[in-house]
Amino acid sequence: MTIESNALARRDFLKVGAGFSLALTLAGTLGALSGCGEAAKLPAKSYAFLQEGDLQLFSALAPAVVIDLLPLDAAQRSARIGDLLRNLDGTLSTLDLAARQELRKLLDLLAVAPLRYLLTGVGAWNQASIESLQAFLARWRSSRFATFNAGGNVLVKLISASYYVLPASWPASGYPGPLAHMYKAVNA
Amino acid sequence: MAISDIYTEGIASGWKVIDAANLNSAQTLEADVAIIGSGAGGGVTAEILSLAGLKVVLIEEGALRTSDSFKDMDEARAYRELYQEAATRATSDGAISVLQGRTVGGTTTVNWTSSFRTPAPTLQHWAAQHEVVGHSVAEMKPWFEKMEERLSIAPWDTAPNANNSVLKRGCDALGWESHVIPRNVKGCWDSGYCGFGCPVNAKQSMLVSTIPVALQHGATLVHRLRVRQLQHAAGKITGAVGEALSSDGRTPSGVAVTIRARHFIAAGGAINTPALLLRSQLPDPHQLLGKRTLIHPVVLTLATMPERIDPFYGTPQSIASDHFQWKDGATGAMGYKIEVPPIFAGLGSAVLNVFGEALRKEIAALPYTNSLLALLRDGFVAQSEGGSVRLAADGSPILDYDLTDYVWDGARRAYLSMVEAQFAAGAKQVRPGHLDAPYYASWNEARQAIKELPMKKFRASLFTAHLMGGCGMSENATRGVVNSRGTHHQIANLSVMDGSVFPTSIGANPQLSIYALSAQNASALAQELRR
Repeated sequence: MTIESNALARRDFLKVGAGFSLALTLAGTLGALSGCGEAAKLPAKSYAFLQEGDLQLFSALAPAVVIDLLPLDAAQRSARIGDLLRNLDGTLSTLDLAARQELRKLLDLLAVAPLRYLLTGVGAWNQASIESLQAFLARWRSSRFATFNAGGNVLVKLISASYYVLPASWPASGYPGPLAHMYKAVNA
Repeated sequence: MAISDIYTEGIASGWKVIDAANLNSAQTLEADVAIIGSGAGGGVTAEILSLAGLKVVLIEEGALRTSDSFKDMDEARAYRELYQEAATRATSDGAISVLQGRTVGGTTTVNWTSSFRTPAPTLQHWAAQHEVVGHSVAEMKPWFEKMEERLSIAPWDTAPNANNSVLKRGCDALGWESHVIPRNVKGCWDSGYCGFGCPVNAKQSMLVSTIPVALQHGATLVHRLRVRQLQHAAGKITGAVGEALSSDGRTPSGVAVTIRARHFIAAGGAINTPALLLRSQLPDPHQLLGKRTLIHPVVLTLATMPERIDPFYGTPQSIASDHFQWKDGATGAMGYKIEVPPIFAGLGSAVLNVFGEALRKEIAALPYTNSLLALLRDGFVAQSEGGSVRLAADGSPILDYDLTDYVWDGARRAYLSMVEAQFAAGAKQVRPGHLDAPYYASWNEARQAIKELPMKKFRASLFTAHLMGGCGMSENATRGVVNSRGTHHQIANLSVMDGSVFPTSIGANPQLSIYALSAQNASALAQELRR
């Protein structure tokens, strides 16, 4: 899909940069209108924090952040993203209340289609092109509103850190793995 | 080779170690002294009081993890099991990443072993500006010596790794001061895995030093127990109420644990100790509790070097520079200490904070990447009052920290110093950890560009691994939560023994400051309690 170049202007007009709360009030209203109820608020099956909508979001954004995922065949890529998501979920489930709530606000905001389109230029996560997802991250991170910078940073960092701790990613980072002679000695 | 994890044998020999996750029914524990938190302050205090013949119960919210579980030398496991919020803890707005331990031994189990004495100008500033007594340079000297001997602290006697050599080379080329970092290690393998828990028990963390001695002398260690509240009446703590956590280490199991003791010691560190005292609604007549939280805000720069750096291997920190630390005195423009962080791919990728092609390229260059960091010395002037700790609805701590123009000025000068040092050491390209900073090819180009960088939260990457203040000490009750001995001004049988008593930041990695101050204050307390 192409990026709506005027989404940025419209976003600035909304002045949601002062915090996600105003946009969220809107998200709540839209959510109610579109019939999203409380049932959608539970973690996805076998996850502790991430909800179905979050899984879609992070699955779509993962190869936009970590382009090493792109050349993999579909099965490999989905397995690798699965590992990334489980790592991420393990991390997020340890967050204290305040951080959990802040992140939830961001993810809920991005889960509501009309708002997402307005704020990010992205329609359905699973149909968005890598270029449009990267453009969204770049726009948020270059925004003059700190709140968008914060959102863009946290999405990028959560994905990259959850990926590059995976042993399968070590060839890409040039990390040879645990220092060989010591690893061998302590595990002998 | 088999490495003894110390605890398996100890427990077999009768050490009293209770995993609260295994408790099925409500318990009451009784002791002379209850210590809440098992990090630098709690560990030292537990050893000293146990050796003095007092009955000690040492309580830790995190789990007991030993060298047996460090053998995988794995980054993901370490963050998940040993760090607060799996190493994603941050200030309330998410602008400053907080690296802090959450396990038996606290941050000492995962820190990078740098062990500096409290700088003389810091101790002098405390006496002159914060009405602190008993902690002058001369009075502290024997306590530094004692803890240095106890924890095998000595300047690192092996050549620095390639990562630290960059700082040494840069400082030498520019004629800047640099020094070898003293470390608390015995039989160190020079591997670089300090941050994941030392797999060979070489690091003399509280986990392998003071806590085992306390246990040998009859102390009880209770882990996966979160103390919710100190109960108080008539100026005295009457008990502590804890909730056992389940095996996930997070969720309360529903089992309540009550602790009765003559004396209570808060040692949860500068985020969790103020939070415990706030939850307990202790008297705070001058509104000082949880205020002046100092964090040594950290900014960093990244360099691509021509030679292989392998920033994940080798002693993580061995060289530091104080060239810019006291240049303008304790209270002039903000001073900073320059050091080197190790970089592993996971957390390292978050530090890079780029995506797409930029991330692919930068992560691939990791073996050639050097980073320098600056610890900004906060809390010495009115324009740098630090942050504050408050409570979320469920009683968990929230840290607020804003940066003033004074601090941002320090951050910008720190960028300039570090980039200059990296180019002087032969870097091919350097960039500050800042959203608006591309790689610069020369010092000249960098110098011009850094002057123009917008110094704002989220644009500049900010970190802290040093939490201090929030229960500051002062003889003057209108200025401190505790007195110079760590005793609470309003509650006689409560002491604070951790970094939260510091009236300012230290100006160096704080572990030895916490060890020595706690040793001194705990020794005085032992005499008092034995009377």
